[in-house]
Amino acid sequence: MTRPVIGFAGLTHLGLVSAVGTASKGFRVVGYDADADRVREIAAGRMPVVEPGLDDMARANSASLSYTDRLDDLAACDIVYISTDVPTDDRGQSDLSGISALVGRVIPALGPRALLVILCQVPPGFTRGLPLAPERLYYQVETLVFGRAVERATQPERFIVGCADPARSLPEPYAALLGAFGCPLLPMRYESAELAKIAINCCLVASVTVANTLAELSEGIGADWSEIAPALRLDRRIGAHSYLAPGLGIAGGNLERDLATVMRLSETAGGDASVIAAFVNNSRHRRDWALRIVHRHVLAHKPSPTFGVLGLAYKKNTHSTKNSPSLALIENLRPWPVRVYDPVVPASAAPHPAVHAASTPLEAARGSDALLIMTPWPEFRKLRPADLAGVMAGRIVVDPYCVLDPAAVRAAGLIHLVLGAPASADSRRL
Amino acid sequence: MLEHLNAGAGKPARVVVIGAGGFVGGAIVEQLRRDGVAVLGLTRNEIDLLQDGAAAKLATMLRAEDGVVFVSALAPARTSALLVQNLRMAEAVVQALASQPVAHLVYISSDAVYADDANPVTERSYCHPSTLHGMMHAARELMLKSEVKAPLAILRPSLLYGARDPHNGYGPNRFRRLAEKGETITLFGEGEEQRDHIHVDDVARLVGLVLAHRSRGTLNIATGNSTSFRAVAEKVVGLAGKSVDVRGTPRQNPATHRHFDVTDCLKAFPQFRYTPLDEGLARAAQSGAKS
Repeated sequence: MTRPVIGFAGLTHLGLVSAVGTASKGFRVVGYDADADRVREIAAGRMPVVEPGLDDMARANSASLSYTDRLDDLAACDIVYISTDVPTDDRGQSDLSGISALVGRVIPALGPRALLVILCQVPPGFTRGLPLAPERLYYQVETLVFGRAVERATQPERFIVGCADPARSLPEPYAALLGAFGCPLLPMRYESAELAKIAINCCLVASVTVANTLAELSEGIGADWSEIAPALRLDRRIGAHSYLAPGLGIAGGNLERDLATVMRLSETAGGDASVIAAFVNNSRHRRDWALRIVHRHVLAHKPSPTFGVLGLAYKKNTHSTKNSPSLALIENLRPWPVRVYDPVVPASAAPHPAVHAASTPLEAARGSDALLIMTPWPEFRKLRPADLAGVMAGRIVVDPYCVLDPAAVRAAGLIHLVLGAPASADSRRL
Repeated sequence: MLEHLNAGAGKPARVVVIGAGGFVGGAIVEQLRRDGVAVLGLTRNEIDLLQDGAAAKLATMLRAEDGVVFVSALAPARTSALLVQNLRMAEAVVQALASQPVAHLVYISSDAVYADDANPVTERSYCHPSTLHGMMHAARELMLKSEVKAPLAILRPSLLYGARDPHNGYGPNRFRRLAEKGETITLFGEGEEQRDHIHVDDVARLVGLVLAHRSRGTLNIATGNSTSFRAVAEKVVGLAGKSVDVRGTPRQNPATHRHFDVTDCLKAFPQFRYTPLDEGLARAAQSGAKS
């Protein structure tokens, strides 16, 4: 058979990366979005999202990629993915009105035998409720990771596919598409697949929460979590790729959404989800780690400091600032001058009345009493602590993710405060 | 978490402190006067909240533009009778505020409303008091939240100390008095329990800030640094400059600790600094010696 044509409705972060990744496997891809301006920009090669490798891959596969704001163009597709964003509110609750409306518009535009695949994060029960014949309707778990989205889209560990009847073989076009990625395929009931996505995220959060809890304990008792985590990764029951790097709580929106969904469903079903609530509480506690450090190690000694902040994005290699610990910190530094630098996010994103937009990391550090490296962008790893010491007014470097070499920081006469390690004795003598 | 209804700090038209004769109330009145705020301090002499007609009498003393600090309590409420009396006092305040609404209400509660094992305590920790005293404060909070229309700030201080503390409970105040007299300080066990000790002046300064910002919501009053009773005792002995024995006893109950996550306070009042324990104990020792 000829290779199926694949459509993506919704050129969001997920949709765009998935479309480009699918084209890289040799399929013709139609990317649809109702926003004509967005379509025009993407077609011109100006990607609205920052992802390593995305621009190059889109250029290399431009012959098999087309972008459109016309729903009718999806009629040529054998499979259409729904790949729009499902926004969340402050409590992690999904607003499904957008995806429901999009599905309502796409179904009439489908070819008569075309399949529809839901690729977004939806709560269990959503897919089964859609008005399309079950044999044409699927749910596929996406495991997008901001900053590693291209790698995830082109080299998935497995496909988890929600079906009306998992005992039946997948339709030929869909099997051909997924087979091109050469990874295991796990068909299951719609609800199982929808919950599998949430289960993956809950396991990740559990690992991160364990790391955060024990990293905090390490800070308090003189242990160093960075010495412990490698030992855990060599344990086969834990695993080499487990999420054991301590962080500043859970951010980005998607994990928070799944935790909120589990709590809501468990409340309805009568289950015990208290551990999930504990994850949420711990995340909130750890998000403010840098603020507490600033008060303890800087403001307790100097009431009118200047701060330098490197990084505004919620993690490296992304433009997203959803629930960003950096912005949460800066919002609480309003009484004091703050100099910020981020390679991608503009300083105007900082919730601060008098933020200074620096054009380089060193300029942000210049004159600061404390420098806070709030996003572990790769370029920050190249900073030389001696250069920082040369331009800073003070000696404190708050480096939660330890992007700088601790020995070099100490050698430069700076005090290095990182997650999971006890504060050095000299920081208490300031 | 507190929400500031006044974007910047302002001066309340007048503040009425109900319970101005007490340890905390007195410190609040002094602080407000130092800040140049018009204060009406009400002690039991002016209004006895347990007397018939107290609500009506209190209402006549209030004005619509007032900020009110309700700090009066029969504390610690260790018996059912004291619990009920304290609730009746709160009932009088609720009734007075119903007939004479005010601009702002600040209630001085206690961290006793939290479960003993709530660590680290935040403003979102569950209220699960293990004592009648804690239940009294929790019930009063709920009475005020349910029935008072004015913006309400609930402040929950940890263990308080200061030269004029009339209570002689286990902790810095009793240790200081014993040390000044050269008497042995006896610890429960080895005094391992860690607590967050607050100088009463810090409560007064925070009340001033809450009034100035017309804040509403809940805030714990704690430094974020917990210290063992033995360490407190040894600091106090050092300040007294006398040879005082700090003696442990066989432990009767498992040691429990209390720590606070004070992030909400850092966010609400970023420029506020708690008095470090060493400095506060020294101040209490000096004031105590003078008195």
